[in-house]
Amino acid sequence: MNFETNLKRIFIVALASIALTACATQGKKQSGKMSGDVYSGNDTVEFLATGVKDRVFFATNKSTLTTAARDTLRKQAAWMRKKKSITLTIEGHADERGTREYNLALGERRANAVKDYLMTYGISGSKLSVISYGKERPVNSGSSPLAWSQNRRSVTLKAN
Amino acid sequence: MTKSVFLSLAFHSIMIILTALSLPFMLRAPIDLPPILSVELIQITDKTSIPFAAKAKKTLEKIKKEEEKRLVSQQAPPSEKKKEKPDRIPMPEDLNKEKKKIVKKKQNPEEVKEQVRQTSEFEKKELFDPNQIAALIDKSKEETAETLKKNEKLTQSSVKDSFTNALTLSQEDALKAQIFGCWSLPLGLPYQKNLLVRVKLKLKPDGTVLKSEILDHARMNQPGQGFYKVLAESALRAIRICQPLRVPPTGYEKWKDLQLNFDANEMLKG
Amino acid sequence: MKKLLVTIFYLLIFSNTATAIVEVDITRGNLEPLPIAVSPLYIEPGSLDVKQGDKIIKNIGEEISKIIEVNFRRSGLFNPLKKNSFVQSPDIAHVKPRFEDWRLIKAQALVTGKVKVTENKLRVEFRLWDVVASKEMVALAFSTTQDNWRRIAHIISDKIYQRLTGETGYFDTRIIYVSETGPKTQRYKKLAIMDQDGANVKYLTLGNELVLTPRFNPQNQLVTYLSYFRNLPRVYLLDIETGVQEVVGDFPGMTFAPRFSPDGKKIIMSFAKDGNSDIYTMDINTRVVEKITDHTSIDTSPSYSPDGKYICFNSDRSGLQQIYVMRSDGSNVKRITFGKGLYGTPVWSPRGDLIAFTRVHKGKFYIGVMRPDGTGERLLTENFYQEAPSWSPNGRVLIFYRETKSDSQGEGFSAKLWSIDLTGYNERLIETETDGSDPSWSSLLSK
Repeated sequence: MNFETNLKRIFIVALASIALTACATQGKKQSGKMSGDVYSGNDTVEFLATGVKDRVFFATNKSTLTTAARDTLRKQAAWMRKKKSITLTIEGHADERGTREYNLALGERRANAVKDYLMTYGISGSKLSVISYGKERPVNSGSSPLAWSQNRRSVTLKAN
Repeated sequence: MTKSVFLSLAFHSIMIILTALSLPFMLRAPIDLPPILSVELIQITDKTSIPFAAKAKKTLEKIKKEEEKRLVSQQAPPSEKKKEKPDRIPMPEDLNKEKKKIVKKKQNPEEVKEQVRQTSEFEKKELFDPNQIAALIDKSKEETAETLKKNEKLTQSSVKDSFTNALTLSQEDALKAQIFGCWSLPLGLPYQKNLLVRVKLKLKPDGTVLKSEILDHARMNQPGQGFYKVLAESALRAIRICQPLRVPPTGYEKWKDLQLNFDANEMLKG
Repeated sequence: MKKLLVTIFYLLIFSNTATAIVEVDITRGNLEPLPIAVSPLYIEPGSLDVKQGDKIIKNIGEEISKIIEVNFRRSGLFNPLKKNSFVQSPDIAHVKPRFEDWRLIKAQALVTGKVKVTENKLRVEFRLWDVVASKEMVALAFSTTQDNWRRIAHIISDKIYQRLTGETGYFDTRIIYVSETGPKTQRYKKLAIMDQDGANVKYLTLGNELVLTPRFNPQNQLVTYLSYFRNLPRVYLLDIETGVQEVVGDFPGMTFAPRFSPDGKKIIMSFAKDGNSDIYTMDINTRVVEKITDHTSIDTSPSYSPDGKYICFNSDRSGLQQIYVMRSDGSNVKRITFGKGLYGTPVWSPRGDLIAFTRVHKGKFYIGVMRPDGTGERLLTENFYQEAPSWSPNGRVLIFYRETKSDSQGEGFSAKLWSIDLTGYNERLIETETDGSDPSWSSLLSK
């Protein structure tokens, strides 16, 4: 009698766990576009020129540039050096998971991290202006870790 | 992707088999508990069921043994503490002793409140009586001072009950229960302040109030004590609404002068 | 030992028989809102109808009592009783209430009054009665112009609140906030101001540029806020009466998170440059700018203590957002928060006894209060997203805002204003015609 009831139990639990594995696989799809906490995909990314992405992404509460970010910015710098008269605006953004005022400051810090890096590659500071939008202008209106990672960004735009 | 499904399935199956194998253990009949000893010493009415703090209970039992030989009347437990939670977020107590605990457990506010509430009501009771008695204790008998203190505390209140209080425990409870029902605590009171109002009453034999007097009357007009007036008024309202008070049918001489000590701290501290 | 016990025992018996008074401790009661009956005010014969703009208000006596009732109900401290059970007509009740009748409906307090409306004046007289003690508690009269009739109802509410709780009220106040509409990715924001009960909403900006975090001046004439006018985020001053706006100072970078000093003479704010945000003050009259913090971390969300001697603020100099307190000249900076997670938006209570804040931990947002030394932390409410508490002028109620989670389509987002009592009771949604955020409470309009 014991064995039969055990068998029944195993069967029910097995069914339930198969259902779980289905969920597990869906999660994996999402995380494929994130490297840790930093967005690494190409959705929402626009291009200043062929192969030159217009933005870099950050980890939560951080303003440090990742390797991928520095790679993007080097390409941006190379492109900018060819365009003598161009001026650019660097926007800093944050995700919605923080207080509003701190996020304004964090956006400013992120934008300046980008500006400083571009300057080390020979771009004159007078051509780069910085503006922070904090969490006011998300590019993805969702409330998921993926959406938030896409919103933690610094975007370089042509000013003229 | 299929690899991960397979792996997941495999691990899940291992877990299932493990739990299934352990299931038979859970099917066993529950262990026979030893018979529960009910130690019922006091007649407690429905409205005054009093849960003791753990420490108090131990001390009580220790002293009870000694007291049983002497006293004729019943022992008095420490006065009630409200343990029911209002169904809103209660406020934790802020005691110096609890500072450490609060800092450690800040992210779990519920927990802190439980702990703090228990110790606070116990400590409060301790402070109330022994101070006067401490003066009576012979200093040379210092080692026994602590036990003595606790003895006295309970001795005094129980003595109060049988000789001076003139109300038996159940009579006192009846009166308390009646006034509990009449007293609307002003919700706007600041917590962590002295919220004690003492009202002296002269009663008629039928329980109606001849005269009422608020002790500490001067406090009403002190700056920063605006709430005291409000609190005092609520106490007077309670007494008025409750007339005639639930007084004992006999022994008028003993309770014709009655003092009610309204203390809002117990309720507001959660 | 036993002998000693016995002697002391008998000593106690004898010492206690000396006092004859019986003492009973009352430690429990009903924690319920006080039942109060607010009778419609009696309109004196010969009164005109009240004109408010192009509206005509016919039953002003009833309208005033309704405002008072709403105030009481929303405070959570009073329970205004239903009118259809009222026993006496307003005119008689105001002169000589029959307390036994009012006691029948379980009222413990009663408000009666009368109104007289003439061409250019509105005169209101009210009385507060203690129904249980059968006596009058407060009797006052007010006059004003017709269009101020709502303020009289609020002032009466404040007087009654004060008499029944011992604290000053907060009903004759206004709230400034940011009105929000539009999709999450392109929010359309305007400065809005309204009475604390939601009436008389006025929009102060047009919505062409982003506006954020407005604050009242203690004198209630000026407002300071952050505006992205011409794509330059800067702190501005706005005069509510004249509508004139001007930028504060001449900073070569973003200024944000502005507040007024308690005497209304200075604006304190953050200034961000080259990735660093520090706190600065500017005197409104002399235009003198002072730097208060000097650190490579982000220093923002400053708030003065009511005596102007200290400032609490938000800084990440320890690595994560925490709350600090310093003297108003920037010296003696002390960290006061040490719990897990982040702390932000500190606001000092007008009573000086508490600092309210937002805390973020494990993906949850909390509104809480603590003493200015960081002890006694109490979390009042928890939500997916909420922040920026602001104190009522009596330091009893906090207003803040909440945002909801968007669904998987990115839809369903909303932002609303909420309030909660200091004790954690009475959490309440504040109705606004649009979504709202960044609320700030004015001081009492009547001083």
